[in-house]
Amino acid sequence: MNAQPQAETYESFVEQIPPGTAKIDIRKLNFFYGKTQSLFGVTTGFAEKQVTALIGPSGCGKSTLLRTLNRIYALYPGQRAEGEILFDGRNILTGNEDLAALRARIGMVFQKPTPFPMSIYDNVAYGVRLYERLNKADMDVRVEESLRRAALWDEVKDKLSASGLGLSGGQQQRLCVARGVAVRPEVLLLDEPASALDPISTAKLEETLLELKTDHTIVIVTHNLGQAARISDYTGFMYLGRLIEFTSTEQLFTNPRAKRTQDYVTGRFG
Amino acid sequence: MASQLIIARRKIGNSIFVAFCWLGAAVALTFLALILLSLITKGLGGIDIKIFTMDTPAPGSPGGLRNAILGSIMMCALAMVMALTIGVLAGTWLAEYAGQSLYGKVVRFVNDVLLSAPSILIGLFVYTILVAPFHGFSGIAGAVALALLAVPVVTRTTEDVMNLQPSALREAGVALGSPLASTIRRILWRASSTGILTGGLLAFARISGETAPLLFTALNNQFFSWNLTKPTANLPTVIFNYALSAYDDWQRLAWVGAALIAFAVLFVNIIARTLARESRRS
Repeated sequence: MNAQPQAETYESFVEQIPPGTAKIDIRKLNFFYGKTQSLFGVTTGFAEKQVTALIGPSGCGKSTLLRTLNRIYALYPGQRAEGEILFDGRNILTGNEDLAALRARIGMVFQKPTPFPMSIYDNVAYGVRLYERLNKADMDVRVEESLRRAALWDEVKDKLSASGLGLSGGQQQRLCVARGVAVRPEVLLLDEPASALDPISTAKLEETLLELKTDHTIVIVTHNLGQAARISDYTGFMYLGRLIEFTSTEQLFTNPRAKRTQDYVTGRFG
Repeated sequence: MASQLIIARRKIGNSIFVAFCWLGAAVALTFLALILLSLITKGLGGIDIKIFTMDTPAPGSPGGLRNAILGSIMMCALAMVMALTIGVLAGTWLAEYAGQSLYGKVVRFVNDVLLSAPSILIGLFVYTILVAPFHGFSGIAGAVALALLAVPVVTRTTEDVMNLQPSALREAGVALGSPLASTIRRILWRASSTGILTGGLLAFARISGETAPLLFTALNNQFFSWNLTKPTANLPTVIFNYALSAYDDWQRLAWVGAALIAFAVLFVNIIARTLARESRRS
């Protein structure tokens, strides 16, 4: 008699972040694209004003996890999340959440630069105008401050009225960061923001993120392990929709506990 | 040397095929050239200031096409205002909200049917709902008939252009805290504007030469008039009437009218193509 093939088990080493530091607390999160389940009981927390990196092979659910945090998935019928995501203690997965207001507090930067078809100035001002009524002088200040924080000001200060579409890819991505921070969100989600950028633009973007950490909680999905090691305080390793390991970045890269994490960070698979 | 034989046969076959393609293109282009040539020789020669300053005359007296030009412009403009309003909204709904719902599929299918509906049918339909019940032909009825022809074109292009926008752009707007509706209005429409405009211009080019729907609706008018609630003069109907008449001067005016429409359409098409190329570049 052959033994029944066992359903694969996933050893999991999720370390709790220090109590009281979590800006976002995730409990038993399941996610479904229609009938396909793509997140399985993810439980973890993202610490306030720290950078948390999510790594893992393609299709492991890192982007899906990120997309639940501002409920951008709700744009698509058929996608749904179960469990709890506590944002400052409030579960944002319950039905009565005002999604536009929530998303104003949780900004997002995408894989490919997505400048709006308008001037550089208006790109940055767009989100601000949705929620605040600033006079011209105050808006000018806000636009400059946001562009400075995204390390783009010096390159565009003389052509603020030029179209955002005319910038290079790296500049466009930093414009998207500026646009995101202009609305002063508490959390910034970044979905592989540097994957379309050259090394110099990537380095600038990373510097920007480290500066933004002083005011924002940052969660970044990345395929670039070096990037995760350079900029993050915590790192989560995901595999097939499960959070396999979550701990401080240093610990995860130097002394991973799960076999899979070890294989991945040492380049044996992925 | 079988392979050389095969290659030789292929070469001959290819030459024959290319020759037929060339011949087909030549036949099509010849007729187009003949049409343009007769429009230029018989039409453009007749253009003078009177065409734009005088109205359609009685046979034998001097005259122009002023009333017909004005009527055509007014009806096409009104038709395009209606068609763009309805078409852009409908196309936006199809692209952004309808998805694969049954209602969405039905609307899409019906729109495609309307896209190729015979224009005379549209004319008859508008006759039964806007002319017969009010006992009178009117420019408004004419504009509605033209709008019905233009709506499917605008709807279709709007849907297609908006579907071409990357979903990341939509998500980026929404992720900033902007509700989907204002993301569509302030970002997606702007990103799609040249495409939508191109569709509008092509729809305009299509309706500007339509005669059949106007025969049942706007009819015609011998006099200069801004009033769209009464029968309204228009170039296609004037061409239709005058070209079939026995009078030389009327026939000359018909040629001029035909040339005016043809070159207006040509001009609009060139603008549409230029816009399309611009938007592809950016």
